[in-house]
Amino acid sequence: MSEKYGIIKVPEELITKIKERIQGTEFNSIDEYATFVLEEVVKETGEEEPEEVFSEEDEHKVKERLRALGYLD
Amino acid sequence: MIILAIDALEYSLVEKFDCNNLKQEYYGKTDISEFSEPRTMVLWSSFMTGKNMEREILAKGDKEMWNTKIELKDTFFNGFKNPRIIDLPGFNYVKEHHEQERVLLKNYFDAKTDEEKDKIRKAYNNLAFEHHRRIKQEFSAALNDDHDLLLGYFSVADVVGHLNFGNRTMMKMIYRDLDEIAGSIKDTYIVLSDHGMEKLGMFGDHSGYGFWSTDFNELENPRITDFAGLIKEIQV
Ligand SMILES: [Zn+2]
Repeated sequence: MSEKYGIIKVPEELITKIKERIQGTEFNSIDEYATFVLEEVVKETGEEEPEEVFSEEDEHKVKERLRALGYLD
Repeated sequence: MIILAIDALEYSLVEKFDCNNLKQEYYGKTDISEFSEPRTMVLWSSFMTGKNMEREILAKGDKEMWNTKIELKDTFFNGFKNPRIIDLPGFNYVKEHHEQERVLLKNYFDAKTDEEKDKIRKAYNNLAFEHHRRIKQEFSAALNDDHDLLLGYFSVADVVGHLNFGNRTMMKMIYRDLDEIAGSIKDTYIVLSDHGMEKLGMFGDHSGYGFWSTDFNELENPRITDFAGLIKEIQV
């Protein structure tokens, strides 16, 4: 399959952040990651759940669960 | 026969991300309600022996449990001439690696500051992804060898999921990769998970059912212990 590509401009700072983020992941390049994220956003229908944020209460709960499952002593 | 053994592969995410290679023709949830908790070591041990191993594994205690090593003769793999099993807990997994993951997990919860937690989470994820790439390579090389049974065990969805299940982009990336691995298999295969995963804020807890798929047989709510017999049956 041959796809056509174009160029978009993003701030350097963002590129640096993406570089860090994709380290050790399946993404081979910043372009690949950016395409993946943009596809996700474009496809978004508005009814999707938002990304979760950290909460101490959740952390406490999961810690107890992981202990019950034998992951933590 | 090829088995994709995927830890914590979650039915609802396979659906949501539309992973067609993981789904195959027939797919559904497994019934693991006979177990008191969805414990990884208990479930895979029960899978390979074809019998409920909960009592036996729990008797070892939480620490020793991870050292479980079931002998070939006590598993259904023994019915094959040239089986190849990659990194399966309770059989031949790389203990040191999975131990290292649990150490980082503990460090994460022990860490006092957000920065520290962030750093450990990254190291933890990287360790899991690195291991995943190694296993993926091993598995894809083994696909070309002459095995009458090949089982690849993939832990990334579980390990990363525990600290990142609320991160949809990261989970989607993992599911996409697992789906690609399934897509690279040219023979008959079964996809099986021990349990799924449910969201606990940004974290992930084990869910009370597993996932199965085949392209040859509709199964009705199979138990994880049913697969030993089933696989032996369809072996030609
Ligand atoms: Zn787990």
